[in-house]
Amino acid sequence: MKTNTVPKPSVSEVLENKDDYKYGFTTDIESDVFLKGLDENVIRAISQKKNEPPFMLEFRLKAYRKWLTMKEPAWPNVKYPPIDYQNISYYAAPKARKKLESLDEVDPEILKTFEKLGIPLEEQKRLSNVAVDAVFDSVSVATTHKKKLMEHGIIFCPISEAVQEYPELVEEYLGTVVPVGDNFFAALNSAVFTDGSFVYIPPDTVSPMELSTYFRINTEETGQFERTLIICAENSYVSYLEGCTAPRFDTNQLHAAVVELVTLDNAEIKYSTVQNWYAGDKETGKGGIYNFVTKRGKCLGKDSKISWTQVETGSAITWKYPSCILMGDNSSGEFYSVALTNGHMQADTGTKMIHIGRNTRSSIISKGISADYSSNSYRGLVKVNKSAANARNYTQCDSMLVGEKCSAHTFPYIESANSTAQLEHEASTSKISEEQLFYLESRGISRENAITAVINGFCKEVFKQLPMEFAVEAQKLLALKLEDSVG
Amino acid sequence: MPTTLTDTPSGAESLILDLHGKYLEEARPSEPFKGLNLASVRRFETLKFPHPKHDLFSFVNAKELAWTRFQLQRDSRIGKDIVRDHVYPGCEKSVLVVADGTFRPDLSDLSALPSQVKVSSLREAVADPAIARYLAETIESENDVFAAINGAFFNDGLYLEVEPAALVETPALILYISSGSASHPTMTVPRVLAKVGRHSEVKIVVKYAGAGGNYFVNSTQDFILEENSKVLYTHIQADPFESWSFAKDRVHLNRYSRFHGVNVYSGCKLARRHHEVHLEDSGAELKLDGVSVLTGREQAHNLVRIHHEAPQCASAQHFKNIVNESSRSSFDGSVIVNKGAQLTNSDQLINNLMLSDDAHADSKPNLMIYADDVKCTHGSTVGQLDEEQLFYLNSRGLSQGMAKSLLTRSFAESILGEIQVPAVASGLRGILSKKLEANHA
Repeated sequence: MKTNTVPKPSVSEVLENKDDYKYGFTTDIESDVFLKGLDENVIRAISQKKNEPPFMLEFRLKAYRKWLTMKEPAWPNVKYPPIDYQNISYYAAPKARKKLESLDEVDPEILKTFEKLGIPLEEQKRLSNVAVDAVFDSVSVATTHKKKLMEHGIIFCPISEAVQEYPELVEEYLGTVVPVGDNFFAALNSAVFTDGSFVYIPPDTVSPMELSTYFRINTEETGQFERTLIICAENSYVSYLEGCTAPRFDTNQLHAAVVELVTLDNAEIKYSTVQNWYAGDKETGKGGIYNFVTKRGKCLGKDSKISWTQVETGSAITWKYPSCILMGDNSSGEFYSVALTNGHMQADTGTKMIHIGRNTRSSIISKGISADYSSNSYRGLVKVNKSAANARNYTQCDSMLVGEKCSAHTFPYIESANSTAQLEHEASTSKISEEQLFYLESRGISRENAITAVINGFCKEVFKQLPMEFAVEAQKLLALKLEDSVG
Repeated sequence: MPTTLTDTPSGAESLILDLHGKYLEEARPSEPFKGLNLASVRRFETLKFPHPKHDLFSFVNAKELAWTRFQLQRDSRIGKDIVRDHVYPGCEKSVLVVADGTFRPDLSDLSALPSQVKVSSLREAVADPAIARYLAETIESENDVFAAINGAFFNDGLYLEVEPAALVETPALILYISSGSASHPTMTVPRVLAKVGRHSEVKIVVKYAGAGGNYFVNSTQDFILEENSKVLYTHIQADPFESWSFAKDRVHLNRYSRFHGVNVYSGCKLARRHHEVHLEDSGAELKLDGVSVLTGREQAHNLVRIHHEAPQCASAQHFKNIVNESSRSSFDGSVIVNKGAQLTNSDQLINNLMLSDDAHADSKPNLMIYADDVKCTHGSTVGQLDEEQLFYLNSRGLSQGMAKSLLTRSFAESILGEIQVPAVASGLRGILSKKLEANHA
């Protein structure tokens, strides 16, 4: 893969620039959209604009310098034209108004967009029990239910706010699960991320509601670099929902998010995602989102648990491996995934389960559906270290093919270095069963509905892991997506 | 050390290139071998030794091997007595000996093989333009760097042809024996090409063994199966520990032909097998099984690439590994179903039995599917002996060691039971149980 990397500045140049910054700031930080391009000035500008403490700037610069030495990964089973990282604007904010006291202060235009996406904030506040932290193009504009959460001592806020208000928590945990130099996209994110969510659940607390964030890309050609950090302290529990939609655009949009989860002793995080971003033109595959995401959880404490559930139905390219590092003894990790590709979509997704502690357990259920011209790959690693006595893993990954021009691949990696480990992996790939379709059709169900029913059955194990409202949405989404693919 | 000139061969590759220069001077290979050697060396230069994350070498660390300065084996010390030690009962009069890479008619005995089986040296066989062309084509498209090294140094080999409509009952035993050398590491490059005619059936047993240690046997074997032919193949790797044993087996399956291979490994410093199978026409069937029993620091690695190129073909793989002490095994297998290869049926199962915390068992069973009307499955397990089964046997008065040995043997038995030559199977059972008993004692 050819990439356009920025020439590495020499040490003297860096020092010179540093001096410049002390006395004269060149980038116009009042502007809402930065000029395209990336160098240390841009990073300093982002950091200054967000009024960050010095450790954050250090963190960003360290990541940026690391990024300059890294290469874009070539191993995923996806193809895309080279990305020009200098042709991206790294900061965009909706018209900044000082501090928002209530919803009335939010730009009505923005509120209208949320409404179209089905997030009527006002209504949700009253009717549902879900706190919504809506991130609109890199800067958070509204946060609800904050008070109720605060009563329980739960912190749920934009990460930029957390940097200001709880710098010691951010400094302690940021980058501990996904180090700045973990991979090309994570390094880029660490250098330039503008916002995202921060959650801290104090000890002995069960979150009174499901936390939810909606992301949305709006400004054209603006990369979105969200950063999410969730810390769940001893004996606590939280369920976090993430959903994405994006409008149609003709230029490819890069999305490189990083999500970090940390669970301490006996804590549990359940992280659910429904992703339905613009996948590009159905006929030509042009213009969809590039979704290069690093999601990783660390079960740091004993008896802790992290569970990932994802329904991936959008994006031109998905490159995503929500992982669990099982460090604490008796900790467990789960991964449930439905990945549907159609049109010209390409998905290379899966998980990593790294067993380090004793008696650690993990299970992986992955369902891939490919239709039209799409390519759908499962890539998963189960690694048992020598220290992980009695580790247990169960993996099942099934693929279904709809149409003869799509492809489905499975690339599991199973590495065991402990004699007490018990690992099982099974996978199958097959066509949608004609017999099942015939049975349903003979009962008077239309072919389209029959296909939807069979596919929903195929994905049931994953759907039942989703929170109620997501499960309904996910089923509808699959039916909608497959509408034109079969017939 | 090479200087900064970009075209200077750098790193370990230069060792092979030096050796190749010497080989061309001393052996003076005749055509077409010289042309094939040169084409292979070019291939080798393109492929290069694998970096640690190379696709075909995920779990194999070939660094030490690459940096070993080998010499080509000149004097073969293989005599009739060594051959006798390795011949299985029933194969005494159908044994083909490839000593240090060269087919040795004087050590071989073909008297029990029917006249439909023709055996010759590859030097004679390349007179046939079809065979020369086949060799040239495979060398040009070689993707395995070690097979390319074989191509760079071979100037003979064994050619085996079974005429159409021949039912050969007597198993043909091909013995690869390496002398080894105490003073310096040596490399041999055996090459076998076997062609099985239409409607024929043949049993082939292949065994790798050594008289001494300190050698690198780097072989390639090609099997071309014509319409409706059948090959029952048993492959035994029994090199001494102080050796490197690499092989690439390439199988071409034609319409309705069947290939059933059983691979048994006892491991060595580094043993690796690359199985490349092409199911080229409809109705072809492949069954590939394997078992490795490893102790100490032995290693055995399998790389399998199965290409389903035509509709209605079937392939099944079942590999079992028993790893003890600090041994390592790996399985990296891909089933690739091409566009249009509809109604493919493919299964893949890997079972690893881990008997020690210092052992490693890695698996990477891949599926790459480009056709929709297929049924493909794969499975992989890692586990240890069942406590309840052990308890049951203990409660019947068996010692812990005996119980473990019995259960481990039964784990291997499902593969050994597939071997179609009884004498070979019982010979292997004996060797494996000795190896296991030494461990469980």
